[in-house]
Amino acid sequence: MKSETAIDPKIMEEIIRFNKNVMDAPSHVAAPDEIVLEVTPHDVVQEMDKTRLLHYKPLTDKQHKTPLIISYALINRYHILDLQPDKSWVRNLVQQGFDVYMLDWGSPTAMDKYLDFDDYVNGYLDGAVEFIKNEASVEKVSLQGYCTGATLATAYITLHPESVKNYIATAPVIDGWRDTTVISNLAKNMDVDKMVETIGNMPPEFMYYCFSVLKPFEQGIEKYVKFFKNIDNKKYVDNFLRVEKWLSDTPPIPGELFKQWIKDIYQDNLLIQNKMYVNNRHIDLKKIDMPIFTQVAVGDHLVSPECSMPLHYAVGSKDKTLRMYPTGHVGMIASSLSQKKVLPELGQWLLERS
Amino acid sequence: MKPQTPEETVEYYKHMSLFWTDLIHLMSSKPQALGSTGPMRAFAANSKKVSTELIEINESLLQFNKFVTEYYKQLAETWNDAQKKVNLKAPEVPQDVEQIDAFKRIWIDIFDNDFTELFDSKKFGVNYGKLVSKELELTKHWNNITNVILQSVNLPSKEEIDEVYKELHSLKKRVTKLEIEAKKKKEMKKNEK
Repeated sequence: MKSETAIDPKIMEEIIRFNKNVMDAPSHVAAPDEIVLEVTPHDVVQEMDKTRLLHYKPLTDKQHKTPLIISYALINRYHILDLQPDKSWVRNLVQQGFDVYMLDWGSPTAMDKYLDFDDYVNGYLDGAVEFIKNEASVEKVSLQGYCTGATLATAYITLHPESVKNYIATAPVIDGWRDTTVISNLAKNMDVDKMVETIGNMPPEFMYYCFSVLKPFEQGIEKYVKFFKNIDNKKYVDNFLRVEKWLSDTPPIPGELFKQWIKDIYQDNLLIQNKMYVNNRHIDLKKIDMPIFTQVAVGDHLVSPECSMPLHYAVGSKDKTLRMYPTGHVGMIASSLSQKKVLPELGQWLLERS
Repeated sequence: MKPQTPEETVEYYKHMSLFWTDLIHLMSSKPQALGSTGPMRAFAANSKKVSTELIEINESLLQFNKFVTEYYKQLAETWNDAQKKVNLKAPEVPQDVEQIDAFKRIWIDIFDNDFTELFDSKKFGVNYGKLVSKELELTKHWNNITNVILQSVNLPSKEEIDEVYKELHSLKKRVTKLEIEAKKKKEMKKNEK
């Protein structure tokens, strides 16, 4: 007896096409290892332990007087801010005439497990700011902090207000108790003392686990299906591979720094309550009085808007601006929207104060 | 008395193992002392530590299994609930390409929502925290056993290396502080001139 199953020929066609795309993929696209992520020309102008200070070469004849230093997050590397020319945060700012520096935290190793908030805030960040002040012959710089880099930068501006003219907080991690993300749920229930005591630094694998539980089906399945479906679209696959390469490059976080960050921000929520200390020095947000620009992404599933926005209301600054954008954590810094909306607004704000 | 519960069983074997390890160690320590510089002597002297760690690993493993079972139970329950919702929304098996895409979208949205709800929940956070904590305890026991082996071949233990790291960190801080002070003094002298 002959058995027949009615299958739409289009479905078979789709399966065959998808299969062909998977087979052809290696000949269409570069391997992630072959992709270079740094696109905007720069010099490494200072190195402290494993950190590096990058200075981007000007792309305009004239530059605004006050240099800008970016304090990138502790999770993943700074490359997301300069992933590809048409979506580069750094390149856009350089093209707007700003003198841009980037602090690359590097990749800590086992011997760096005792590095703490004090080392990052009063050591590396302050060292970089002092270097720029000296190089550019200015008394103050503009400072941008992104994500956890903004937590460090916020601590820095309360301890070194004399060095910062303007502060930009992009998706800052500030009020841990209000954070509604999966990350904060895991952080709140973590035995961080035991983790640091047993394995030293926060391992990248732990971060990969955290990423894997964020929209697991969209990010874990659908994303790759779309990639193979669009294998002929050069721009799409290039962007995809660059982001994937960036995502897979997560350095460890020094144990002591990680411990204080988890405890003070997520578990005890000390920063927003003005109860946090860095090397016995009080972090009082009310003392922040410089112009401050807070950027928040409405669809941020890594740092929820409720976690970032309280900074705007907690500081003592009179000149303060809060902007909310209809995008996500990465979309705010590396997307068409960031190029068309976020960066022009930031540039205008900075220009008026630089 | 025969052990009744799993805890009593662990205690029973723990006692039995420690008794024989101690006794054998006492009986054999004198002849072993002849080879006092050899690796086996150092290993034998610390072998009790290995036994203790192995017994404690079993205790941690019992707890770990409890939390890992709960972890997969939560995932399985969420999966089943999500699948039921998908079945209600899309009762028929799709027959063409457009329907497959629509079905896939429904499936992904429902599964992502339900799993995000689980990962956001307190019950998941608490259990996951305990699971990781037990995993770390297992790692710690393993580290302790490795330390015994390292010491038997005269290599520094993890704690000893940590002490070096701590000292290095503290020295670096002191040097940086001194450098800043020296720089300030130099600038002051320069300004005086």
